[in-house]
Amino acid sequence: MVFPPRLARADEAAEIIKKVEDNLNGRSAVLKIAMIIKTSRATRTMKMESFSVGSEKSFIKITYPGKDYGITFLKINDAMWQYVPRIEKIIKIPASMMLQSWMGTDFSNDDLVRESSISRDYTAKILSQSDTAYEIELLPQPEAAVVWGKLVMGVAKPELLPQSVRYYDEEGVLVRILEYTEVKRLGDRLYPSRWVMLPQDKEKYGNQTIIEITEATFDVEIDEEYFSKRALQRFSE
Amino acid sequence: MFFKIAVRNIRAYKKRSIITVILLACTTALLVFATAYMDGSHERMIRSSVEIYPGYVQITHRDFRDSPSLENLIFDAGQVTAALADLPGIAVLTPRYESFVLFAAGNKAVGGMLTGIDPAKEGRVSRLWESRKQGEYLEETDSALVYMGSELARRLKVGVNDEVAFVGTGADYSFSADTLRVKGIFRTGLFDFDNRAAFVAKSYLDRVMGAENYATHFIVLPARPEEAAELAAAIGERLGPEYEAASWRQTMAGLVQAMRVDTIFGYITLGIIFIVIFFVVMIYTMLAVSARLREIGILRAVGTEPGQVWRMLVMESVLLALVSVVAGGLIGGSLAYYFKLHPIVFSGFEEQFKQYGLAMTDMPTAFAPLVIVRDMALMFVLSVAATLYPIHKVNGYRPIEAMHHV
Repeated sequence: MVFPPRLARADEAAEIIKKVEDNLNGRSAVLKIAMIIKTSRATRTMKMESFSVGSEKSFIKITYPGKDYGITFLKINDAMWQYVPRIEKIIKIPASMMLQSWMGTDFSNDDLVRESSISRDYTAKILSQSDTAYEIELLPQPEAAVVWGKLVMGVAKPELLPQSVRYYDEEGVLVRILEYTEVKRLGDRLYPSRWVMLPQDKEKYGNQTIIEITEATFDVEIDEEYFSKRALQRFSE
Repeated sequence: MFFKIAVRNIRAYKKRSIITVILLACTTALLVFATAYMDGSHERMIRSSVEIYPGYVQITHRDFRDSPSLENLIFDAGQVTAALADLPGIAVLTPRYESFVLFAAGNKAVGGMLTGIDPAKEGRVSRLWESRKQGEYLEETDSALVYMGSELARRLKVGVNDEVAFVGTGADYSFSADTLRVKGIFRTGLFDFDNRAAFVAKSYLDRVMGAENYATHFIVLPARPEEAAELAAAIGERLGPEYEAASWRQTMAGLVQAMRVDTIFGYITLGIIFIVIFFVVMIYTMLAVSARLREIGILRAVGTEPGQVWRMLVMESVLLALVSVVAGGLIGGSLAYYFKLHPIVFSGFEEQFKQYGLAMTDMPTAFAPLVIVRDMALMFVLSVAATLYPIHKVNGYRPIEAMHHV
């Protein structure tokens, strides 16, 4: 053994997180998604198509409800743009707005941009493991521009699929829980087809946003055209 | 008789009398003016902050102030208006619908607050209308016309008649977006406000955001602003537990707290000055009466009672204090009155004031006769009290000791 066991363990944790990300994102992915947003007043559903390459680039188009049809989002690395047909404008989401709710859901703009870069921004450590799952603690890298103080991720063995992520703020208060459930075969792999975001802060407690992956194709060639600003308007139709 | 003797003594010891009067009069004037300045500047800061936009009384859903989300809106604005229609003490009642949106013009996109207002009523509860710099103020029937803060307009690089798009979340969490035309630009001087606020007619915003008959809050202008807290309580009672009515003392608790701290420090400073003055007067009186020990000894030797000497000396100090306090009160009061009409202007301090959310640099003093009389009475008691110990001390000498005193 060249490395002391503790270090090996940290490496192992990083390895697991990388695998989890690969399993979720694939080399590329084309998804059809339904989003159900529940608040104490109402429940509404949005549908969208998502095209992504790794965790760096993605393109999202809203397809339902009709009045929002054709709103498109483009994400390249940490930047995000949106196109709104009604005002015929491409808007770059400014940094100050990244923490705002994304289309009234319990996800923020930042989530869409950052979610997939956990392996880059956080240091992983295995807290515990059983025969069926790992519990991994993720602490932000000192220089990483992230909003969370700590994440705790549950990862199912042996597929290395995420089960849940608990988000803590810098004071160590649990702010929200994301649960990945209903693992089934989608495309070429087993995939959690239902993601539930449960806010825990007083303001939003009791609300939830459910993401249902209704169709998925992984590791196919996606036209590079999708990942340009031109695409926002072009594929809005 | 004591009065006559006291007056004669005061005139006889001219130098001592003049110095005492000047000292006490200046102190009284200082106290009167300092109080007037403190009260005046606080009043000014509060009015300025409250009247620019927050308003004297705010009505919200009971949870809105703790968690300002779309769950905690006022969902029946009409009912609130109806319920308060006959409540006395309300000069103006007007709803607002505030929404956080993204403004976009050209390649620029910035976050800001888009608020739907009733233009006519809003003009009476806030400074929006008066703060117009370019273009026109809003009208009730305006559709897709926006009245925008100067800094926001500058950041978006738009002027009057230019187009600005906005993207936001409707009351039902749906997507809401539209293109607006700039009708007017305002500048309140409050940087943060001018930097993010823009207004449209509420009827228009309600349509676009799916917020018909909704409001984030109501603003109330009380018929008597100084009774805002009582009015808030009365409104709260009328509307019931579903709603919360808060006066500016609650909505602007930070500012109120700052004023309180400032007042305390003001009084501590004045207190230190007065302790010094108290002892100066005491020592000076001590010297003055000691110099008269021989005279007092002779008075006693010819049969004057110690009580009579005491009364004579106290009468002197009462008369001196009275003259000084009246003179000081007049000087301090005139200064307070003058600077109320011609406020002190702190030009060059705009930046510091802005940090406290204040959009002004002129500080008028308060002119409150009752407060002035209170300060004068305080100074009178203080200056008479300062002479009691020296008077008591000289009265303690026996006549023979006193006469031989050099």
